Amino acid sequence: MILADIYQLWNSAWPAGLTMLGLGSGFAVVLLIASEKLKVKVDPKVEEIHKALPNLDCGACGFAGCGQYAKAVLAKPGELLGKCAPGGPQTSNKIANILNLQISESGPIKRPIVHCRAHTTDKTFYAKYQGIQTCLAANALANVQACNFGCLGFGDCVRACKFDALHIVEGLAVIDYEKCTGCGACSKACPRNLIEMIPFSQENMMIVACKSREAGKVTKTMCKVGCIGCSICAKQSDIFSVDDNLARVDYEKYQPTEQTRHTDGGQAETAMNKCPTGVIIYVGKGRTGSQGVRKDKG
Amino acid sequence: MDTVNTLIVGFISIVLINNLVFTKFLGICPYLGVSGRIDMAFGMGMAVTFVVTLSGTLTWLIDNLILMPLNLEVTRYVCFILVIAGAVQLVEMYVRKFFPSLYESFGIFLPLITTNCAILGLCLFINLWGIDSLLEAVVLSFGAGIGFTMAICIMAGIRENLNLADVPECLKGAPITLITAGLLALAFMGFAGMIR
Repeated sequence: MILADIYQLWNSAWPAGLTMLGLGSGFAVVLLIASEKLKVKVDPKVEEIHKALPNLDCGACGFAGCGQYAKAVLAKPGELLGKCAPGGPQTSNKIANILNLQISESGPIKRPIVHCRAHTTDKTFYAKYQGIQTCLAANALANVQACNFGCLGFGDCVRACKFDALHIVEGLAVIDYEKCTGCGACSKACPRNLIEMIPFSQENMMIVACKSREAGKVTKTMCKVGCIGCSICAKQSDIFSVDDNLARVDYEKYQPTEQTRHTDGGQAETAMNKCPTGVIIYVGKGRTGSQGVRKDKG
Repeated sequence: MDTVNTLIVGFISIVLINNLVFTKFLGICPYLGVSGRIDMAFGMGMAVTFVVTLSGTLTWLIDNLILMPLNLEVTRYVCFILVIAGAVQLVEMYVRKFFPSLYESFGIFLPLITTNCAILGLCLFINLWGIDSLLEAVVLSFGAGIGFTMAICIMAGIRENLNLADVPECLKGAPITLITAGLLALAFMGFAGMIR
């Protein structure tokens, strides 16, 4: 009885199995022929370089993703080697090894700085902005925020950052240097070009956290912490220069020394302390961005 | 004349009235997943159109020439999936060889067409609706692909504009997308009852 059942099952099962087998092998043959005919040759070095990259697809190198960069760097290693900011020199060395190249010593790593230190309470507003909540849109509308140079605080840079290294703290973009990889996405996103990539030759860098080119008097009415272009810093140290009512740091002259952590024997430090609005500040690891060192003048 | 008439009516029916996405809710995964940008959506629609036309035709042939004469209708699902997977592999190789940039922008979504239920759904519907001519099956499969392309492109267009809208916090992301999809389907309900 059972035997008959098994026999029946077998009888109905084998044609199905055979058909499936036939169809399967038929498609296998077609795909086999197709794979031979449509073969794409990939250089094994591309795969190796791709593996060495951080695979973040951040676009710092100027390509859409790590895959494209791997291909491009193989074609033009002279120009493109070392463009991977998140990977840094380590990744560049790995790629150079794969390509049998010697890498020359590259300059200090670049990190973004925000040229503004005004929080909401420091700024003056002429009106309340209720439009689309992006800096790009807010920037198109004149005179909502009194200062036409300062941070708008809608976080276009925060959205551009893939590493969660930027946050809006009370209306000001603040960079977390522990998480920053230096890809430069925020710098491109800022409609006011407030974020600049500078060479971080030291852990903490001195910056002028303002971009206002208004006359000192005007700046004072608009912002409590803006640069008024008084030139006190430029008189103290030659790394500072004042142009268009705005102080700047010359990072070519900004060289680290062994004895003093600060530049040119502490003159810059003096200039920082003498700044009447406290717009010269240190940023870097361990310092919470632009609100870092604040000298409260009595 | 009669055949041509049937074909035209069948085509319009599958594109507008019995659109797989809007009325059968098939293929929702790529419909929501790849509809962020309109150019990507169009590329996806074209790839799906190609696969669904190829597999719809092949499965009709296999169904009518092999499975039905042998009384093996139970193995339909397995066979159809086999055909679809094979067709997708073929498309992938072809796109990689001749359109490398398109291949890179698709990424994972190209192999995922294999599991697009709109395709398997259509292959099974063709049998369910009792389509008995090859030509009609080809036209219906092609129409299904065009319908899918239309649906995903409309959705992508809406979503591109939705990015600029001030969506309430609680509805941001997936919820508003699903609501949009529902309203779109509702709008297409207006075509129901026009034919058959």
